[in-house]
Amino acid sequence: MNLAILFGGASYEHEISIVSAITLKDKLSSLDLEFIFLDQDHTFYYIDAAKMDAKTFSSGSYKKSPVLILEQGGFSQKTFFASKHASFDRVLNLIHGADGEDATIASLLEFYHIDYIGPRKDASVMSFDKFMTKAYASACGVDTVSYELLSGQRKSTTPFPFIIKPTRLGSSIGVSIVKHEEELDYALDVAYEFDDRLLIEPFIEGVKEFNVAGCMTNEGLQLSIIEEPQKEEFLDFDKKYLDFSRSEQVNEADISDALKKSLYEAFEKIYTPVFEGALIRCDFFLVDDKVLLNEINPIPGSMANYLFEDFTSLIKNISLPKKKNIKINYTYLHSIRSAKGKA
Amino acid sequence: MAIKSFQHDQHTYSISYEIVNPLAKHDLIVLHGWGSNKEIMKQAFEPYMQQFRHIYIDLPGFGGSINHAVLDTQEYSRILEVFFELIGAKKEIIMGHSFGGKVATLLQPNLLVLLSSAGIRLPKPLQVKMKIRLTKLANAAGLSKIGKMFRAKDARDLNTVMYDTFKKVVDEDFTSEFKNFYNKALVCWGEDDTATPLIAGKIIADLIQHNRFTVYQGDHYFFLNRAKSIAAEIEKEYLK
Repeated sequence: MNLAILFGGASYEHEISIVSAITLKDKLSSLDLEFIFLDQDHTFYYIDAAKMDAKTFSSGSYKKSPVLILEQGGFSQKTFFASKHASFDRVLNLIHGADGEDATIASLLEFYHIDYIGPRKDASVMSFDKFMTKAYASACGVDTVSYELLSGQRKSTTPFPFIIKPTRLGSSIGVSIVKHEEELDYALDVAYEFDDRLLIEPFIEGVKEFNVAGCMTNEGLQLSIIEEPQKEEFLDFDKKYLDFSRSEQVNEADISDALKKSLYEAFEKIYTPVFEGALIRCDFFLVDDKVLLNEINPIPGSMANYLFEDFTSLIKNISLPKKKNIKINYTYLHSIRSAKGKA
Repeated sequence: MAIKSFQHDQHTYSISYEIVNPLAKHDLIVLHGWGSNKEIMKQAFEPYMQQFRHIYIDLPGFGGSINHAVLDTQEYSRILEVFFELIGAKKEIIMGHSFGGKVATLLQPNLLVLLSSAGIRLPKPLQVKMKIRLTKLANAAGLSKIGKMFRAKDARDLNTVMYDTFKKVVDEDFTSEFKNFYNKALVCWGEDDTATPLIAGKIIADLIQHNRFTVYQGDHYFFLNRAKSIAAEIEKEYLK
């Protein structure tokens, strides 16, 4: 299979996406890979695999690469006389954060009839906004941590300590734990810089966290092992960054079969059918023996490759949702014409 | 980073700032120079002085802080007074580089730390005098584009508001402000500074009553490599 990895994007996680792409280049080396970079000004570049290193991007030398233009059915490279099609079977959307996870790229690729691995429009809407995620989870019958929504207000009714998050940012950007009244004002200024809506959740000290990834394949829903990530209070940006370049397989969490079952069940409820076409990672909390959804990562760092034994064949076998093509044959207009006796 | 938006004198200011060591008892406020930003200051001083709550600020019109008004240095200090009130910052130690040194002086902190501060007018070199004359001639002849070619590096690429602000602050004489500063001050200078020459530092040190004058190796940005010893001076002065 010929796979085009699309990465970069006008997002706070732009650089993380580059790290993810470089990691996947190694991890998926047995596939035919192409690399398409979206820069912060929304220009697509075709990057030579040999140049897939950090320096190409930090030095700006990617700008010497051929520019790609979206066309029906694919990307093409304009040359002086003609346009040359970039050839691949599927795009892997690896743009973390804005553009990649907010339905922008999904809409573009669908509009141009390009097959892609990644969250569809509706899935993106559900997972990009943490408030929407809570509403969606509750509709699927999966519990989440209790919360309060602030839209511009500077006061909270949640008792300390709590955690403040911008509703529409991935990663840990703009997130703070507030333990005392004196820390609140600054934490609000930090979070409101990124979003005008904030979520406040009680901060649960030492909460147990479990991650599960999975996707729909030609052989049904494939689930990863369950990981219990090692963490300090919460992953800050630097630690998350390391997380995005992970490629070694991790050890499975040592938990009861019953808990394993409820985690997998919760994942399935969230995944099916809205997230079909994407490989997602769900992060769960275990509070008082109850499984709570914390967040959905519809494009997880380096695609959570480290949670799967055979990541390459998984990527090859991801099944994409069927597209419905609307056929327009002008029956209605014809019928009007015949009614008027003009046919 | 964080943003605080507020109204002052019929304008909305959004100040981008960052706090390091949020729970420390004493406040250290850090102001950058003209055309610079808080990241440069933070890069130098963040690793030191852990007993202080560091408050790094982008002055209005620089870095992430928005400004729509033509300001002078007095007005900069008034805006900061409002901002300090809002974030509950105490004017214990204020450190200012270059233009930020003038703002810091007006804010009357308990301990003033000047890093190659602006505020002393020195005779302009002949070359600059010529440029000014030519610009005035060209402007009179309706050739303002020629004049723009001679603009100082600090003034190029500025929007109108900030260019007008620049014209207001660039030539201010702070002799009396330094003279009327009665709290303690540390005056720190780079010996090879060409933007604010060492002689200006000596003049300031003569004007401020209670100060310690220290000369470091380096240019106008000497503190980037001397933050450790500057920090030690501050600790010695404030925590004794």
